[in-house]
Amino acid sequence: MGYKWRRLGENTLFLSPSIILTAALGIYPLIWMLRYMFYDYAGYGEPLFIGLDNFQRLMRDALFWESVGNTFIYAGGKLVLTLPVSMLLAVILNGKLRGSNLLRGIYFMPTIISTAVISVVFYTIFNSYNGMVNTVLMKLHLISEPIEWLGPNLAMLTVILVAVWGAVGNYMLLFLAGLQGIPKDLYESASIDGANAGRRFWSITLPMLAPVAQLVIMLAIIASLKGYESIMLITEGGPIGKTEVMYLYLYKLLFPVSTGSPVVQQFGYGSAVGFATAIIVGAITGLYFLLSRKMNKVY
Amino acid sequence: MRKTWAGLGLSLILAVGLAGCSGGNVNNNGSNGAADNGGATNGKSGTETQTPPVESGKPVQLKYWTDDRHDQEYIKEMVNAFNETNEDNIQVELTVMSENYAQSVDIAFSSKQAPDVLRLKSGNVGEFYKKGYLAPIDEYLTDEITSKFGSLLIDNVNRFDGKVYTLANTGLTLRLVYNKDLFEKAGIEKPPVSLQEMVEAAKQITAAGKSEGVYGFALNFKSPKSAFDRSIREILSLSGHQGLGFDLKTGQFDFAPYSQVVEYFKQMHEDGSVMPGAEALDIDPLRAQFAAGKIGMYLSFSTEPGVYQDQFPTEINWGGALAPTIDGQIKGTSEIVSAGTWLGISAQSANKEAAWKFMQYMYGDDILKTYHEKGFGIAIVPSIVEQAQNPEVNGMEGFLVGEHDSLWPVSPTVTPEGAGYADAFYKYILAGGDLQAITEDLNKRYNDALGKAVEKGEVAVTPNPGFDPAKPQGN
Repeated sequence: MGYKWRRLGENTLFLSPSIILTAALGIYPLIWMLRYMFYDYAGYGEPLFIGLDNFQRLMRDALFWESVGNTFIYAGGKLVLTLPVSMLLAVILNGKLRGSNLLRGIYFMPTIISTAVISVVFYTIFNSYNGMVNTVLMKLHLISEPIEWLGPNLAMLTVILVAVWGAVGNYMLLFLAGLQGIPKDLYESASIDGANAGRRFWSITLPMLAPVAQLVIMLAIIASLKGYESIMLITEGGPIGKTEVMYLYLYKLLFPVSTGSPVVQQFGYGSAVGFATAIIVGAITGLYFLLSRKMNKVY
Repeated sequence: MRKTWAGLGLSLILAVGLAGCSGGNVNNNGSNGAADNGGATNGKSGTETQTPPVESGKPVQLKYWTDDRHDQEYIKEMVNAFNETNEDNIQVELTVMSENYAQSVDIAFSSKQAPDVLRLKSGNVGEFYKKGYLAPIDEYLTDEITSKFGSLLIDNVNRFDGKVYTLANTGLTLRLVYNKDLFEKAGIEKPPVSLQEMVEAAKQITAAGKSEGVYGFALNFKSPKSAFDRSIREILSLSGHQGLGFDLKTGQFDFAPYSQVVEYFKQMHEDGSVMPGAEALDIDPLRAQFAAGKIGMYLSFSTEPGVYQDQFPTEINWGGALAPTIDGQIKGTSEIVSAGTWLGISAQSANKEAAWKFMQYMYGDDILKTYHEKGFGIAIVPSIVEQAQNPEVNGMEGFLVGEHDSLWPVSPTVTPEGAGYADAFYKYILAGGDLQAITEDLNKRYNDALGKAVEKGEVAVTPNPGFDPAKPQGN
């Protein structure tokens, strides 16, 4: 009995930092949000209980639903480009390529560069008036008028490209880790049996990578649905809301950008939007997990 | 074994590091917190969080927080001079915040580490008042001070519920900023006085310079609100309408005059006179392009001369002129913005009297006069305007307060459901639509929000049917 109590005490002691931090930084803000989504609260004065008004407003808030649509376009575009490219790079760099370690470092570099720096760099590349892309295209006489890369028609594509550039190295590394866990003798016996590179990729690499891919794709889905930082810096959600994704919309409700004119924080409505966005991300992730169960049972 | 020792060593280093981060004299946490936030101090060591009353020869420590960076050297000098010369044994520690000022102030107040003296601006004073951060200063106002600043006491700017919380120093005027060389090259003799003239001028400048990447007009449309609040606001106030869509006569929002101006902006966009990429343009990249001689004109605050002196030094020949009006007739006055506020005292300060003594020193004629003369802001206090020399900053002459400038009553701040006026109108400029329907929708949503805010007691609105835009303060 004494031993059991001592074990319990030790376990509690070891777990306490994690429990305290989770409670203070994870659970308390969550409870705070769950409470305030039923209130009208601007950060001062007494919060006013308004029942489900925030949710009724959410249902008729066209800007929010537009931001949800934009999020799907952004996340879809990012995933469609990022995942194949990062897997391809991982497969190439997993081979006996000269300088592959250096290349892995180079491709991984964007992951550790600050989003602010990436955004500024891409702004100088894509801005319409003196951006590098337009300058080169005009010098080559391929275009006569500047292309509005950050205009209403192309801004979404541009921010997706920035996101892909920033994410490829990260997922490449995860795929690489998965590839290195595949036993080499499988490839050797397949080669002896006469399987070519394509066949080996299709019949060994892809199935054996599936469990890792399942996790990587899930992480990529969550990151894509929640991503907004580079968009905030490059377009601020514009022009005319074309790149406003739901987490950026949420951020602006909680931390409105002041331009000298007074602004009001909307903690109550922001909490309701935060709850809705969490449900959306959670539902999509759950659905993906359900649909991808087979990936985990390959071998 | 070696790994174990390495692990233990690393743990020890981390533990020491963490202790170093979290420890320290509790009395220091106020100033450290500020410095951690990107603030810079005036070099005096931070001492006590809650400053002690004057006793046993111990100096009274005051903390003064500001988010103004453009004047920090001068203010630092003045604070140090005060620390050396005041006879009340008061020491002021200046902290200049680099960003997130409002959030830093929120945190400081919620953790009872608030500064004693705060920089107040029209964008934050109302919220600070509502949050209970500010102490009224009425008890300190002598007849002399009242006569010096009395004409600049405005409800919901520096006076709330009949009590005064801050006094005026400078304000920002708004002007059309134009490149004289490009105007001359396009054969335009003077800056436009009507919106039609502005549209024509933008077209002519673009036609004359497009091959070299020169365009007639630009604004920082990355944030439409920022762009319109520095342009349409001024065009409207000079044309006789409140600049943020509020009708002071009826006490209701009416965006009809706003929509008239928007039509001209749309015309410039359709003419191709607006610089490509303006929809993703921040104000600083815009200024860089203007300094490079690529933009014919834009509208902005009186901060621009300082910007082109220090931030983006330029060779171009440029100037500031009154904004154009809707029909070329001046029926109102150009609104002086960010005016009426400067310093305020914290409601949490344990040394309000000492804080007032410091404030009194800062509001002295010499400091206010020099502040204007150095070009940090345009003086609006009448006695200072009379005494001060013009600032020696190129271009500032076009921004000085003149016969067409004045303070306006404050319009209520409301948060409507859906898109704000700037986003809605900018969408119309880029994508078109039914302007009348957009305007009516804005009127409805803003007035609904206003009604709710009045009902909750957050704002008070008093219609003024006799409001005269030529004399917005009624004098």
